[in-house]
Amino acid sequence: MNNFLRNLTATQQIGALFLVVFGILSIVTVWAFVRNLREQPSDTPEAEASALEAKRFWGLLQTSWAMATVFWVGWALGETVATVLFAIVGFFALREFITLSPTRRGDHRSLVLAFFVVLPLQFWIVGSKHFDLFTVFIPVYVFLALPVVSALANDPQRFLERNAKLQWGIMVCVYGMSHVPALLLLDFPGYRDKGAFLVFFLVFVVQTCMVVQHLLGRRFPHHPVAPQVSQSFQWPSWLAGVGVGGLVGALLTFITPFKPGQALGMALLACVAGSLGHLVMKALKRDRGITSWGMQGMSVTGAGGLLDRVDALCFAAPVFFHSVRWYFGL
Amino acid sequence: MLAKLMSFLLLGIVRFLTGSQARWYGCPPKAEQRIYFANHQSHADMVLIWAALPEELRSITRPIAAKDYWTKTPFRQWITTAVFNAVYVDRQATPARPTTTTTTNTTVATEPAGAPAAPADADTATAGGPDPSPKTPTRAPSPEALRAALPASDPLAPLVRALESGDSIVIFPEGTRGHADEPQPFKSGLFKLAQMFPQVVLVPAWINNVQRVMPKGEVVPVPILCSVTFGTPIVLEAGEERRPFLDRARDAVIALRDV
Repeated sequence: MNNFLRNLTATQQIGALFLVVFGILSIVTVWAFVRNLREQPSDTPEAEASALEAKRFWGLLQTSWAMATVFWVGWALGETVATVLFAIVGFFALREFITLSPTRRGDHRSLVLAFFVVLPLQFWIVGSKHFDLFTVFIPVYVFLALPVVSALANDPQRFLERNAKLQWGIMVCVYGMSHVPALLLLDFPGYRDKGAFLVFFLVFVVQTCMVVQHLLGRRFPHHPVAPQVSQSFQWPSWLAGVGVGGLVGALLTFITPFKPGQALGMALLACVAGSLGHLVMKALKRDRGITSWGMQGMSVTGAGGLLDRVDALCFAAPVFFHSVRWYFGL
Repeated sequence: MLAKLMSFLLLGIVRFLTGSQARWYGCPPKAEQRIYFANHQSHADMVLIWAALPEELRSITRPIAAKDYWTKTPFRQWITTAVFNAVYVDRQATPARPTTTTTTNTTVATEPAGAPAAPADADTATAGGPDPSPKTPTRAPSPEALRAALPASDPLAPLVRALESGDSIVIFPEGTRGHADEPQPFKSGLFKLAQMFPQVVLVPAWINNVQRVMPKGEVVPVPILCSVTFGTPIVLEAGEERRPFLDRARDAVIALRDV
């Protein structure tokens, strides 16, 4: 089996990977569909709760399908298309972030700059492989330029707060997101055209960590570490989540250019960054008085909660990308 | 053809920037004759409601556009007529009014200040205080008589014509764009239209966030999610006075803000 996989070309291997992913998604979808059919509508609060849970699950499934399709299209149509796709995801995420962080009139020009100049430029720099520029473009140049534009708007009220908001939005949604397609462009010796595996590795490992952490936190409730921010974040379940994520990473060694130990280390790093980043985003949400960027699709703003799905990835990607480049001297 | 393309393009742009989500609370999207009345904070309000309506309602719903702004350039004029199929409303500049009580204003939506009181509503045009003659004939005439009595020069006339031809309309009863959190007091146009067209359903709507997309004086819009919330229709009760009705309508709009 392993030999058979090894003898396939890179393209065939990645194709097989997507086949597996879409296969799993199909099975889960059919299972959920059948379960939905069996459920009898009734008015008890219990049934209502399970209906809500089912609805949430459908939403999650829909997102998974959309994400898998995006990845697949991105891979099938090449690096440029993939970069553009991630740019669009970043755009929608930033749109959600800004929608739920009230801005003032004085921020308008800075927002225009962020959406229509910084975001396209950042992804263009990634696409054109200017690695040295793209890691510093936002934290150095943009973070200096944006407050200048805001200051020129002649509105000092809550100036620091407003700029911090905008910079955080850009940091997470543009800078973080732009590191995902950057993985596609990393040139490992002997690992050509397999960037999609690296992206898959990162996404899968981080997602596993989040799911395990969530399920364990629910099954074995413990003392929340920061109850004001998150009722579900607890050290034991967090450690377990990161541990399982790392293990899964080590098991996935065969699709990466890493040795097992390296894969474990990289996976652990990505999991820590991703899960803690998710916690940070939760604190931001709490500050806004919301529990989700989308509120199950019923929010006044119509935000869809895309940011809830990608926030861990946005934090994990830059750390993962940097450590890979630094460790392997690419 | 060109208009169709333009409308697709505009829909694409508006959805990309704002998501233009419609939230139907209290009434379903339905092809019946309606007057949508909403808060007004930006020139883009009209565009957003237009984009939020489902395709089959969009073609029979005509937004109100301020004539002076939307006919300033040939392009704007073309957009409003060919794409939005808008109804133009005059908002002629009027001399400063001695009092700021907009309650007595007898003009329509998108109107900062009133045209000279038309004969038909001379009786309602008295100062905002209690009505001098309690037995005013405001509700005595039939809707048809009210419509017939409306002079062609009245700012409401184009709206009446649109409603008579069976279209739905979108109006902004505040008259002008507001900048406060709450809408300004409603002007009487909505009341008069409700009197003239008792069979038309009055649907309140709350437009959220649009003023952030493109504040006054800016030319480049910023992507921010917006939504239009449609609420439970209200009805003009038999014998209901103008001011209580308008306040009720305004409350119905404000109530949608936090749904």
